[in-house]
Amino acid sequence: MRIEFWGQEFKANLFIGIPGAFLIAVVSSMFGFGGGPFMVPLMAVGMRLPMYVIVGSSLLAIFFNTLMGTFRHYGFGNFDLIFFLIMFPGAILGGYLGPKIAKKLNPVIVKRVACLGLLILALQLLGVF
Amino acid sequence: MKNFLKFLTVLMILSVFSVTVYSQTSTEKKDSEPPKEASPADKIIVQVDKNQLSGGGKIIITGKAPAGRDVYIEVWSEKTVRAARLDADPDPKTGKRPYIFYMTDEMPGFYRLILPEKYKSILEEEKAKGKKWSVSEIIKKSGADAVYGYPAKIKIDRYQTTLWESIIGSRGTKLEPMDEKENKRRSMQLLKARFRTVGNVFSSNLKIEEDGTFKASVELPENAAPGKYFVVAKVDKDLKSEPLVVQNDISFPSVYLPNAGRTVNVLWPFLLTAAITTFGVLMGAGGGFILNPILVMLGLPHTVVAGTVMPTVLFSQGTGIYNYSRINFISLKLGITLGIAMLVGGFIGPKLTELITLEQYKFLFGWVLIILAALMFWQTTPKYLEKNKKEQAILKEFKKRAEEAAKKKAEGGK
Repeated sequence: MRIEFWGQEFKANLFIGIPGAFLIAVVSSMFGFGGGPFMVPLMAVGMRLPMYVIVGSSLLAIFFNTLMGTFRHYGFGNFDLIFFLIMFPGAILGGYLGPKIAKKLNPVIVKRVACLGLLILALQLLGVF
Repeated sequence: MKNFLKFLTVLMILSVFSVTVYSQTSTEKKDSEPPKEASPADKIIVQVDKNQLSGGGKIIITGKAPAGRDVYIEVWSEKTVRAARLDADPDPKTGKRPYIFYMTDEMPGFYRLILPEKYKSILEEEKAKGKKWSVSEIIKKSGADAVYGYPAKIKIDRYQTTLWESIIGSRGTKLEPMDEKENKRRSMQLLKARFRTVGNVFSSNLKIEEDGTFKASVELPENAAPGKYFVVAKVDKDLKSEPLVVQNDISFPSVYLPNAGRTVNVLWPFLLTAAITTFGVLMGAGGGFILNPILVMLGLPHTVVAGTVMPTVLFSQGTGIYNYSRINFISLKLGITLGIAMLVGGFIGPKLTELITLEQYKFLFGWVLIILAALMFWQTTPKYLEKNKKEQAILKEFKKRAEEAAKKKAEGGK
């Protein structure tokens, strides 16, 4: 598929993009997280698109998934309103504080710490320790 | 900025308001069992040391039953939760997998079957089996088959599902209701699916003296649901005491999460979400990756965690899209094409959440996190950083242009 973005033309490989996006959507709606960290590499590496095309468009694509996932979870009775009302202000507060702190930190170090944290969490989920 | 703060305050007030309204109405619900007449000849007398609890606590149960008989005590809450299980174990005779999905919305939020002390070893034995323990095995071995009462009668729906039906997101064809015996058998499996461990369903602290007097205790955890709790002592199917009622009250800042089936202090999910979202922003991934496993490990049902965390990002995604679209920085063609693929995926995913067990959820999530960690590590390699630096510079340049264009357009519009 050819797309035009700010006067430049790109070829988007949908043979990778569509199955990839579909799979990411299944997994992310199944576990209830946003698919951003997977969609961006998919579009950058798999579809060979430059970052400035990806940032906005990936968000739009993920929004479809979040919206559908939300409705479906609601339909299955997995949505707890009170729990949501407690967490939602927390999420907004975090979304507000995050960028403020981010400016003061070295992103590479933050990412490496996050890597370690994610690995520990993963091993705990897998029952390794 | 001011508007944002205003919005935040309104939101907080709204949430607090709705929480208090809920906790008021929920205590008014009434759903008690009509007491049954026992024959006066051999009666069981039972009493509890207190009828009121506040935020959980210990109840001492004492009483007297005919001498020489085994006594069992059932305790359950009036508040109910959902329990579900997909039966995909191969049939031992035919080897075929049944793929029947069992679901109930009437599982008590709290259930405890207290066995006489002498059966302690049976519980230990089952605990030693790890994840393979079985409710029915304990009930059979401890002679509790006739007294296992309340959960046996809950309404369980079952659906014949197929791989294809799961894929298109249907629960499958609803089957005829089960007979009493089958319902009882399935209720035991659902008990395990809901309560996970032996200790959450059974205890064996019931002391019986020679003259038939007995004493036991049950501990309602701090996170137990508010409302009525019923206590019944039984010797067999017909010989049982009238249900005693213990009221458990909770007060703000503790609130009851009806779908998750537990009481929490509002403060900790709020702080946890705020802290993890902040960290999520720093590492460039949503907070859900960390928040969900933690909530699941804290004991919330994985279905409710997935279904409730997901909508929290709708708002931030919406603002992001608005900001990008304002400066015309979204390729609609690309976003919608991939969006449709994701729409289909988002239709299927939540169905799978319901079908998988907690163990499968943890296992798969573990691997997802390992992949994510690998991706993030790759993003800190020097080669990637160098490439990213260039890309970010181009991104900035294009964004600047787009912002200027949008500004011009806005000014031209005036």
